[in-house]
Amino acid sequence: MSNEATELLVSACIQSLQAYPPFDRMEAEALRFLALRVKLAHYPKGARILAKETGVARTLHIVQRGRVDVVRGGGERKLESSSVRLGPGQSFSIGALMAQRETVGAYVAHDDVFCYELAADDFFALTQKSTVFNLFCTQYIAGLLRQSQQQLQLQLAQRAAEQKTMNSPLSMVVVREPVAVALDTSVRRVVELMAGQHLGSMVVVDAERRPVGIFTLSDILKRIVLPGASLEQAIAAVMSPAPQTLPLAANAHDAALVMAMHRVRHVLAVDEGGRLRGVVSERDLFKLQGAGLRQIRHSIDAASSVAVLQHAREDVRQLALTMLSEGVGAQEITQFISTLNDAVTRRVIELNLDGDDFYGIDWAWLAFGSEGRDEQTFTTDQDNGIVFICTDIMDREQTQLRFLDFARAVNDDLDKCGFPLCKGNIMASNPELCLTLEEWEEKFSHWVRTPEPLALLNATIFFDFRPLYGRFNLAHRMRLSLLRMTQGNPLFLRMLAQNALEVAPPLGRIRDFVTGDDPEHPGTIDLKKYGVRLFTDAARLFALANQVEATNTVARLKRACSLMKISSDEVAAIVDGFNFIQMLRLRHQHFEQEHGRSGDNLIRPDELNEIERHILKESFRQARRLQSRLKLDYQM
Amino acid sequence: MVWLAKLFAGHDARAVPLTSEVQERLSAWRKLPAPDLTRSHYRSRYVLIDISIAGSDWKGGPLGSIGALALVDGLIDFQDALHLAMVHPAADAGQSLAEPPPATPISGEQRRAALLSLLGFVGKAPLVAYHASFVARRIERALAEALDVELKLPWIDLAWVMAGLFGELGEKSAQMDAWLEHFGIDSVQRHNPVSDAYATAQLLQLTLARAAHKGFETPASLIEIEKARRHLYQSG
Repeated sequence: MSNEATELLVSACIQSLQAYPPFDRMEAEALRFLALRVKLAHYPKGARILAKETGVARTLHIVQRGRVDVVRGGGERKLESSSVRLGPGQSFSIGALMAQRETVGAYVAHDDVFCYELAADDFFALTQKSTVFNLFCTQYIAGLLRQSQQQLQLQLAQRAAEQKTMNSPLSMVVVREPVAVALDTSVRRVVELMAGQHLGSMVVVDAERRPVGIFTLSDILKRIVLPGASLEQAIAAVMSPAPQTLPLAANAHDAALVMAMHRVRHVLAVDEGGRLRGVVSERDLFKLQGAGLRQIRHSIDAASSVAVLQHAREDVRQLALTMLSEGVGAQEITQFISTLNDAVTRRVIELNLDGDDFYGIDWAWLAFGSEGRDEQTFTTDQDNGIVFICTDIMDREQTQLRFLDFARAVNDDLDKCGFPLCKGNIMASNPELCLTLEEWEEKFSHWVRTPEPLALLNATIFFDFRPLYGRFNLAHRMRLSLLRMTQGNPLFLRMLAQNALEVAPPLGRIRDFVTGDDPEHPGTIDLKKYGVRLFTDAARLFALANQVEATNTVARLKRACSLMKISSDEVAAIVDGFNFIQMLRLRHQHFEQEHGRSGDNLIRPDELNEIERHILKESFRQARRLQSRLKLDYQM
Repeated sequence: MVWLAKLFAGHDARAVPLTSEVQERLSAWRKLPAPDLTRSHYRSRYVLIDISIAGSDWKGGPLGSIGALALVDGLIDFQDALHLAMVHPAADAGQSLAEPPPATPISGEQRRAALLSLLGFVGKAPLVAYHASFVARRIERALAEALDVELKLPWIDLAWVMAGLFGELGEKSAQMDAWLEHFGIDSVQRHNPVSDAYATAQLLQLTLARAAHKGFETPASLIEIEKARRHLYQSG
């Protein structure tokens, strides 16, 4: 009997929900399940329906009538003070509910609000029952991800804005307290001061500290050394009088203009009383300008020495940071870093080829590991090798020796350019990695046929090879024979899967994250070992099993997953997870290096904000999803 | 009015003695503790009741159907709802054509079973209706005739309470439709007693929030509001 009443109310509820996505597309059975289990609640204007202080989210709220204001962040973060308003058909808070934690912001009734409320258990049951709803929640999380990335970019943009630009006032450009001398100071004393403090110039001031002259390093040569002038005379006699000055409020552009107009290299910043407050040199301005992609590329390709390439590498880092702050995604940035690093490597190779002529020999320089995958971050060491073809077996030793000599020089130069030598000696100068095509094929074949632990480890590094210089078709031939080997060897793929599954995503049952047991870094997660690796290992396996030639993780996932009939939505969620972890790595490495540290991959989940923690968790869940696919495919 | 009630309730309503099973269920219901009207709204169970009258004579026609819905701890649960047809199906034509055939009320054991399930659903919760006196009269009479039971539960008339709490629609109590329109509450199927009970339940949710805000935090305090209003407007 009660069914009749319930039926009426449930069908009314279904009807009202069906006006809104995702309920309009939801399976009839799932929608009925939902309508049978929701309860209708009312909240008067101003009621805090869901907020941080109400604790872990236990209910999904679907607005039936009225409007709900979403107030973010509670003042802690000014960046997020924007408020969003939810209306009928909209649900909250899927993020908090899925993560089983308290919500980030507060949900406040804007007027009289009626909500359908679904208990957490029923919510999770619904995500199981309804693929439509599941997808909706997944996309919602993806939306959060974008939101978080925007937030990340805001932070970085703010940091970049704090950095000086050509629009900065001189008061920001000058940092050091200016050193100045009186008119009657001896030249000897001035030169001593300049040498002692590594100054390019010395300002001469009157009794009120108003600049009356300037004396530079080049003046020493022209006015003292060459004429043989006395070091004991007063500086007033040899200084350039009436130096160019600008008020502190003028900007760097003005300074550049003054320098260009008057052909001087220094401009003095003065306060309202005309008193000296700082010195701006041409070099200071040059540093402000920074370099664009084209200039960097040009300077790399035209570099005539390793010293020039060292500068280029610093420019790459700066530009990558700018890109990070301009909202370029992690995938593009890592690819960009890899591309420019490729250019640096190629130039180093070219510079070293000048003294070494391999005329008549087919050979190629190979990159392995993250460089092979086009996924380099700010911190990267060398992983490279050489493949060559030896037409006459008698020449093999001789040829290899020549390549090894050459490789050693290249490895050393790369080291000077900021690619540290590989601790594991995965470098072309290692005789084991400077091999003929046949030897490489034999090596690969051995690893595939006898997949012992070391072979599997090698596979994870070397099977991601990519040619950087020379005959690219050699690398292509290596790839084809590798894919032939792996395709016909299910045992190897199974062992590779097992190897990939050795590390699990650091998701805890009780706590959100399982942090490392490394006693030197408690409370941290190694985002390389426990983050990126989970994705790259699975992607490599997918690629080798499905004859995908790509080495880049995202490219591998996209191509292999389409062959494996994994939906593009799922792939997109996985790729988002991978990119988010890469983004965190980039940001962390940059921060570390800014503070003079080497830039590791250890992040502290506690130091992330609410939303980042949440998304990191979701990213790890995507890794877990990949792993369960591996378990399924290889029945482990 | 007893003669009239007998006429509609069926001629043999009191003739057949109550079975022992019915007796047992009645005594179990009687033993339930009286409602605690001093707990917060949000820790109380209210039952909303609405009825439909069969035929076109809405004052004197037979009880067509009963709709009941519970509001527990401030929440409406669709599974906590009841619909009872009190006339035979073909005749229940509460909102239909101009000249419906006269309705035949259900009778005997069937009627007793229906009203017993109403008692079971209500328990000893305070009852809420819009224009409660009309609903109360019909419900209580039906119970008295079929089961010889006196309900003795407080009825809260939302018409009076809302007029006392919401100044928006003027001082005098308004028609329910006016409130529904004012708050934008859609009626699923107007004059279906379950649908009306649902709409009334949402009005009650609004009322409880407003009442609590003004310091009337318990069912008893709602009864006080109603009393005061009646005193003010009926005696004056």
